[in-house]
Amino acid sequence: MKYLKYIAIILIGNVFVSCSDFLEPVPGSSITTDNYYTTAEELETGLIGVYAAIKGINSNDKDENHGVQWEFYVTEMRSDNTSTKSPDSEDASDAGQLESLNVLPTNNFVNNYYTSFFQVISRANVILANLDVVEDSAKAKAIEGEAKFLRAYAYFNLVRLFGDLPLIDRIIAPSETEIQFTRVGTNSIYELIVADLETAVSGLNNTYTTRASKPAAQALLAKVYLTMATPGSYLKAQLLCEEIINSTKYSLKSNFHDVFYTERNSEIIFAIGYNSGVQDNSQIFSAEWMNAVGNTSGVNYVTTNAVAAIDTYGGSRISDSYRPDPLTLFGGTIRYQVTKYFPDGASGGSDGQTFTGLPQLAGNDWIVLRYADVLLMRAEAILAGAIETSNGNAIDSYMQVRVRAGFNAVTDRPSKLTKEALLIERRVEFAFENQRMFDLIRFGAAQSVLSVFADANGFNFASTDLLLPIPQNEINLSRSSSTLMTQNPGYN
Amino acid sequence: MKTISNLKKRVSGMCLGALALIACIAVTSCDPTIDALSYDLAEANSKEDLKPPVASFKATVTADYLTYTFANTSSSATDYVWNYGDGKTATSLDGENTFPAEGTYTVTLTATDKLGKTNTYSSEVIVIEPEVPPALNPGVINGNFDDGTSNWKPNSFSGGTTNAFNASSDGDPNNYDGTPSGASKTPGAKWTSSTSAGPLLSSSTRYAYQEMKLSENTNYILEYSYAIKTDVADIAGGDRVIVEILDGWFNDGADAVVSTPLVQTIGNEANGKGNFKVVKQVFSTNATGEISIWIYAITNDELYVDNVKVYPAI
Repeated sequence: MKYLKYIAIILIGNVFVSCSDFLEPVPGSSITTDNYYTTAEELETGLIGVYAAIKGINSNDKDENHGVQWEFYVTEMRSDNTSTKSPDSEDASDAGQLESLNVLPTNNFVNNYYTSFFQVISRANVILANLDVVEDSAKAKAIEGEAKFLRAYAYFNLVRLFGDLPLIDRIIAPSETEIQFTRVGTNSIYELIVADLETAVSGLNNTYTTRASKPAAQALLAKVYLTMATPGSYLKAQLLCEEIINSTKYSLKSNFHDVFYTERNSEIIFAIGYNSGVQDNSQIFSAEWMNAVGNTSGVNYVTTNAVAAIDTYGGSRISDSYRPDPLTLFGGTIRYQVTKYFPDGASGGSDGQTFTGLPQLAGNDWIVLRYADVLLMRAEAILAGAIETSNGNAIDSYMQVRVRAGFNAVTDRPSKLTKEALLIERRVEFAFENQRMFDLIRFGAAQSVLSVFADANGFNFASTDLLLPIPQNEINLSRSSSTLMTQNPGYN
Repeated sequence: MKTISNLKKRVSGMCLGALALIACIAVTSCDPTIDALSYDLAEANSKEDLKPPVASFKATVTADYLTYTFANTSSSATDYVWNYGDGKTATSLDGENTFPAEGTYTVTLTATDKLGKTNTYSSEVIVIEPEVPPALNPGVINGNFDDGTSNWKPNSFSGGTTNAFNASSDGDPNNYDGTPSGASKTPGAKWTSSTSAGPLLSSSTRYAYQEMKLSENTNYILEYSYAIKTDVADIAGGDRVIVEILDGWFNDGADAVVSTPLVQTIGNEANGKGNFKVVKQVFSTNATGEISIWIYAITNDELYVDNVKVYPAI
């Protein structure tokens, strides 16, 4: 009993020392977003993860995010440029719905793109929330600029495809259902995009091509301004384009072929990089566009409407835009394939299907922004929504792109550049680069062009088709919360 | 045998009774005049139209200012009637109309669902031919050099001089408006070997500079006349005057020298003193409309410039 007081002291003492972190250590065997980011290097690995979300996963699993690899489905295949191998207005498959402008809210390609690009936004938000671990302020500015560029890029694609969207500008918890399912107006989305890109322009430098750079942010912002088409935005777009042009960092490749088959060439401002032969780092869209080489029997085939346009206005760009599918030359209807993105540059032999390596693991980079786009955007900015312009600078920029395509600088030079001619030039220059649908809408020509195209092909066009449906999956998820997500008109 | 026939009778009797009952029910149920049914409402058990149509649309002008496309954004409707306000109508889903002339038209969309509920939405379309605003025409100040070098001096010049040129009385015999002055000469600007650029570039090389605010992205014409006394081909490239339109305003002449001009013209015909040649050059202004005129010469002789004009190209 005489030791009782010592025992009591030791026990009471234990009460105080036991409140240390001893029982709550960070488990060394696991990495979480809460504990991982402690240095600038670690934050940069997270930043690379944002690019990984854009690249998407090279597989045929519909539940995995395929990012930009499946972008052609929701952009080019809805336009008059491409379709499935055998277009059919009765085809109710996911791809068939897109080519015939008869998209259902349950369409998986739509859902996949939506989730992919919100994953980009979510990952960018994680980087932005952890900026305080970077001690060097210039480095912090650069990382912030890069993350904001990527968030703006994702939102810009989404807002043009879906209209009003949930505005997610920070890390949100699963319980925050209101912000997840409340769609805010496109004006607020564009405000965020512009603010993000302005930060990116001021924080970034010229180091990369397959990562964000200052000219990439400028070029993207110029396109945002052209899309907004508010008073004063054309001037801002023009100044941004001219800053890129005057920097003389970029130039047109003299041979159109080299734009697509020499990676990171002088014309590329921003591209999504892929590596050949590596499952985790390669892309499959190149194979999908061939005849039964990828997971499909052939998608993103060139419509006869696009073939006619390229034949008439393409100049020397024809062979590097499309070719007749070699397999269909033996009989039946001739179909046309895209030739800008042959898997690793291999055209597939005499039948278009014979490859030495694995065409499904192609390494062709996906070009997002290139110099020709900046030149034509400058012309568009000077045109400023008017029907035509006699402005020499606008015609100069327009002719620079045309001369590379084999047109004569003097005899083919128009005295006036019309909006219509510029839209046609953009169509043949950027054919199958996922620009057509956005161009048609931006030029105010979507309804008139697509209704004629739909009638000619037995499709059914309505103006509400210019926006995709909000994925049914999202609306179903919102049903269990107090905020019911709204659907776009025409999809109820 | 008797039991069989009894059985037959009973069965047929039952069948007959059942038939009579069915016929009775059929007759009464199909007759609306029967009193027992007169209290049932025609609408009984039918559901209310919870989602009546909401009409709306968006108008977009096409390349032709008279033609508009109308994007139908109505909900819960199946049939549509467009009234374009110019006497034309349509029943298509989306609308497209070419209006007869400029004016304000009230376009009305009536949306109807299959239960006969309707909703209308109207919007005014103002059809107007887009106007091209007239180009600014501020004119060149002291373009005839009557006031010597005033308004032609660079604001500052690092490592150089802000003297624009030598004021001279040996200018173009024509007036600024192109009419003959009657005299053999008017005031002009003059460059010599001591003020020349090129091989003779020095800190005393002179540049004439004038800022202008013009309409942005608009075509203008730069015009001037020049005379070269003799071209003795003893200066590399020959005696010549260089007149440029610079892309922007420059506080320091040294920045102007290294900038890329919007347009450059070179006058190199030596026709003798007093024999002026007119040069005209079209150029497009930049995005801001802020440009400047920049004149210098490469000469080891006497070179004259006069009547510098900038005016909108039609």
